[in-house]
Amino acid sequence: MTDTMPIEDYLAQGGVLTSPANVPPRYRGELLRLMASFVDSELAGSAGFADTINDAPGIQERISAARIVLEKTDHAGQVLKVMESFGADGGRYAAHHPWAARLAREAEIGATRQGGDMRLSVFHYPLEGWVDAVVMNVLMGRAGTVQLKELSRVSYQPLAEVFRAILPRETRHAELGAAGLARIAADTEGRAKAKAAVAYWYPRVAESFGHSGSVRFTTLSRFGLRHTPNETLLAEWRAAVDAELSALDLN
Amino acid sequence: MTRFHPLTVTDVRRETRDAVVVTLKPSDEDRAVFDFTQGQYLTFRRRFEDEELRRSYSICAGKDEGVLKVGIKRVDGGCFSTWVNENLKPGDTLEAMPPMGAFFTALEPEAAKHYLGFAGGSGITPVLSIIKTVLAREPRSRFTLVYANRQISSIMFREELEDLKNIYLGRFSVLHVLESEAQDIDLFTGRVDAEKCAALFKGWIDLKSVATAFICGPEPMMLAIAASLREHGLSDDRIKFELFASSQPGRARRKVEAANGADHGAACEATVTLDGATRSFRFPKQGQSLLEAALENAMDAPYACKAGVCSTCRAKVLEGEVEMETNHALEDYEVRQGYVLTCQCYPLSDRIVVSYDQ
Repeated sequence: MTDTMPIEDYLAQGGVLTSPANVPPRYRGELLRLMASFVDSELAGSAGFADTINDAPGIQERISAARIVLEKTDHAGQVLKVMESFGADGGRYAAHHPWAARLAREAEIGATRQGGDMRLSVFHYPLEGWVDAVVMNVLMGRAGTVQLKELSRVSYQPLAEVFRAILPRETRHAELGAAGLARIAADTEGRAKAKAAVAYWYPRVAESFGHSGSVRFTTLSRFGLRHTPNETLLAEWRAAVDAELSALDLN
Repeated sequence: MTRFHPLTVTDVRRETRDAVVVTLKPSDEDRAVFDFTQGQYLTFRRRFEDEELRRSYSICAGKDEGVLKVGIKRVDGGCFSTWVNENLKPGDTLEAMPPMGAFFTALEPEAAKHYLGFAGGSGITPVLSIIKTVLAREPRSRFTLVYANRQISSIMFREELEDLKNIYLGRFSVLHVLESEAQDIDLFTGRVDAEKCAALFKGWIDLKSVATAFICGPEPMMLAIAASLREHGLSDDRIKFELFASSQPGRARRKVEAANGADHGAACEATVTLDGATRSFRFPKQGQSLLEAALENAMDAPYACKAGVCSTCRAKVLEGEVEMETNHALEDYEVRQGYVLTCQCYPLSDRIVVSYDQ
């Protein structure tokens, strides 16, 4: 049983890689980019949400917000550990960007990355108060769940295992958000505020799924780093949040 | 950044015609550093002429053996494995990084699980470590091993596996599948492919009882077994893979000579390969990194931090000379081989040839 095959064929047929030593160069680049995008988004998301703790209207909401901030930072740390096994300097990485920095509320950046910061573009927009933060957390939380389910199948086993462990906790974050949103939508004033926030965040979160027919998707799926096209994931997210929003009469 | 520690070779035992088992001892102060988990591997380094080679080998000792052992099979044309098989002797020193890898599940002394292992050839090494540890630390668990080899004489750890069967009566079983040697039962001759897996899961192995399956072997075997396990209802999170070292290049390669000469131009002619496509462009030697120049020339080069920290933008310089402004991610040996962080990379020579594909 000593027969082998080219690593590219192995990956194309659904093979799994297990250590930095197995990984071909181009795969390495795309894998690290994928990890950097996740780490930057979690760090930026967590940093942006930190201020929200002080906007929370009650003790339960404060706890939920603090927990989200804590756990998203922890999730970034877990993926950063995998990056470190490829040589990345985790200590410097965690501090190399001002994660709390945001652009203007009305900035038009589409889905493009800004500089050497790989956070999803949605994390460049500032949160405005509690209701806004809760709505963003519900919409992006569901997006995160959809995307993490996809990423739990990546062909780099050590990373897939981290994503599988993170998924239930991120799902819980979205649920905490949904519970908070239900409380907000219980009265007319809250519902109006929430509706305005949905109008702002919905298209920006939708944008974070990337373009349909993406060239990068083709490359990534050849490596087993992606499986489901952007447009399919987007449709899945739309179906989930549309149902959630209409149950609260918010769309 | 490099975390290599010396290990003293205390024994080199010939296991088969082309494989040895090397026993290693850390120094007293490094003892904690080498406290491994079953199924992990060690990465060794050694200089061959002017190039440093690094090779990873799985630990084949169980956690309770009190020693480090690795099984190293000689690969045709493999520099490191041949050297170990022919020259290594007790008293020598090998340098290794602390144990790494996640080819294991957490030990639960109270658990009564059924584990299934598939090993092909020298892929037995991490699986053996898991078998020995699990049987010792989880007294109510059992393990079934499907072990594929070419012929009887090439089976590594054959006697040790027999001994384990006797020590752990009723808790450990081995099914040997031999590619080119006939056995009493047809099922145990040939390759472990989809068909054979299906037959095994029908009459020999009750997959429903299996908590986790471990697979270590060559790529085609891993693909076939994983596909079959999934088809028979085992979910991805219960299948653990360890791809062994077959994809590692065997021979030390000579370093590309840097092109010398008069390099006084203000611009550099760069030839850059990415995903098999090569593009040439000129860019100023100062003010713009190689990565930025490549991106500006419509190449979809990988990058993330642009700060020399994450190593996403790593590429290899094949010709010419460059300098890196900062480097927090590549190790010295990678730099000696010509690897650079393109986000920190500025040309010194008038011409450079760079590849993201190597």
